[in-house]
Amino acid sequence: MIFSEGLNKNFKIYRKPPGFLQSLKSLFYREYHEKQAVDSFDIHIPKGKIVGLLGPNGAGKTTLMKMFTGIIIPSSGSLKVLGYTPSKRERAFRKKIALVMGHKSQLWWDLPAMDSFNLLQRYYEISNADFKQRVDELSDLLNVTHILNIHVRKLSLGERMKVELMSSLLHKPEVIFLDEPTIGLDLIAQKNIRDFLIQYHKKTGSTILITSHYMADIDALCSELILIINGSKRFDGSIKQFENLLGSEKIVNFSFSKPIENENGVWQQFKAHWNHDNTQVELSIPEKQMREVSQKILSEYPVCDFNTDKMPIERVMKTLLENPELAGPYR
Amino acid sequence: MKPFLLKWFQTMQVSWSNLMVYKLNFFLQIIGPMLVFFFIKLSLWSSIYGGYDYVKIGGYTLSEMLSYHLWVMIAGMIIMSSTASNLSEDIRLGKISSYLIYPFSFWEFHAAKYLARQVIQIIIALITIISCYFLLDRLYIAFEPVSLAIGFFVALLAGYYWFAANYLIGILAFWLDETWTIMVGLQIMTYFFSGAIIPLELFPETMVEILYWTPFPYISFVPAKILMGHIPPLLPVIGILSFWSLFITLISYLVWRKGLSLYTAAGM
Repeated sequence: MIFSEGLNKNFKIYRKPPGFLQSLKSLFYREYHEKQAVDSFDIHIPKGKIVGLLGPNGAGKTTLMKMFTGIIIPSSGSLKVLGYTPSKRERAFRKKIALVMGHKSQLWWDLPAMDSFNLLQRYYEISNADFKQRVDELSDLLNVTHILNIHVRKLSLGERMKVELMSSLLHKPEVIFLDEPTIGLDLIAQKNIRDFLIQYHKKTGSTILITSHYMADIDALCSELILIINGSKRFDGSIKQFENLLGSEKIVNFSFSKPIENENGVWQQFKAHWNHDNTQVELSIPEKQMREVSQKILSEYPVCDFNTDKMPIERVMKTLLENPELAGPYR
Repeated sequence: MKPFLLKWFQTMQVSWSNLMVYKLNFFLQIIGPMLVFFFIKLSLWSSIYGGYDYVKIGGYTLSEMLSYHLWVMIAGMIIMSSTASNLSEDIRLGKISSYLIYPFSFWEFHAAKYLARQVIQIIIALITIISCYFLLDRLYIAFEPVSLAIGFFVALLAGYYWFAANYLIGILAFWLDETWTIMVGLQIMTYFFSGAIIPLELFPETMVEILYWTPFPYISFVPAKILMGHIPPLLPVIGILSFWSLFITLISYLVWRKGLSLYTAAGM
């Protein structure tokens, strides 16, 4: 489906100090230097998978997406998507992919979404019958039937994102690239988009590559994820493996109704982190001892609340963003 | 209809719908300046002639001169549709990314958009011709179907040239942060060398001879003259205009290919 080996992308950038004179100077002389945005990247995404592409801002996620869709040309390395070379930008290839960008609208701003859809119908050569069925089906799934005839600029961000998604699915793409599709949306709108994607994927079995900074998106949608930091791959595997990347201990939080004497007892062996007045502790407990240790603490101390990590993936991600060296080079 | 025609037609339809949203904007940006320019030239030449119609300058009487400028304006309506500034912006702000993904090219998209505007401007030109025919003295306006037909044809060819030139300047945005300076430069040169301000009969002869090899006269002077009923040998007109159109299209193609290899899709 998507297959790359040793993929590289360098950007030439030049620095221009502020000011008009410097602008004038830069017309004649520019000091370029190269920035390696993507560094010998190997990827293999099989058909029908939803894969998350994670990484901090500026790590190269969007650059990868741009290369996969043929918008920019790789500096070196091989890349095949659906058997095509994206940078050749053949029409047959373009008809089989879709790109949705959360922070950029592809619809005509001053017209109702339906006008854009009609245009896309022609661009993708969709027959009238197919088109009608497709619009009905998708607008039903996304619950947007009532807003298709409203000017896009008058829609809320959540509504706009839905029609944006809809517009890029009209032609039944085989591979869908989603670049931060839930960015800036409220919790309900985020959930709606996620639910839709899950349903849509179940129905069509299309391959989806998604980037997001919201771990909830990744957790809900993806079976596998790829981590990219500074242009190179640091992790590629299942979510389960990712959660255990920094050790398989479970993180458990206990709150107590009064301060606890923490010099002795079970605490030290589980890497305890106490709050300032000793009423809360975070423990890393090996999965096997989880039951036993929790029971002991619950029965021996005045516990008023306790919880385990809701989204281990978020914790791992946060730790890796703070200390990228923990991820180590990709094996 | 063939799929590719449907693509063009639907793009034109969307452009029209968009123009309807910005009716006033369209009028003020395109038609407004043409009218203002026309009335400035009207009063300028009237005062140069001192209001006497028996004075001849470059072979033109005052009414012939005014009639010439009327036809220049009409030719302009047919030829000069939107400029390339929005095209450069699309590139600079990374908006062309969508068109690198759709199975419809950036060039086709802008050509269809240009055509859509041109159709509207041609309708306005026709309305202008008809109202001039009824409102003005017949002296001002020759009305011969054959010269009108040939004039329209040459103007349409020139319209393609004007689109191609603007497209080329527009896509220089791959390298330049601001392309509007070049665009304004081209516009000023065109206004002057095309005979839109002063008819070419008033230019030095050698200069006119050189100018005939450039695309400029075909933007105003030549189509206006044809519309007025002075039909020159058509083969060189069509030949030179086609040469420049093809030449610029070819360069655009090369510039586009080179530019795309540099394109970083900023802000996408």
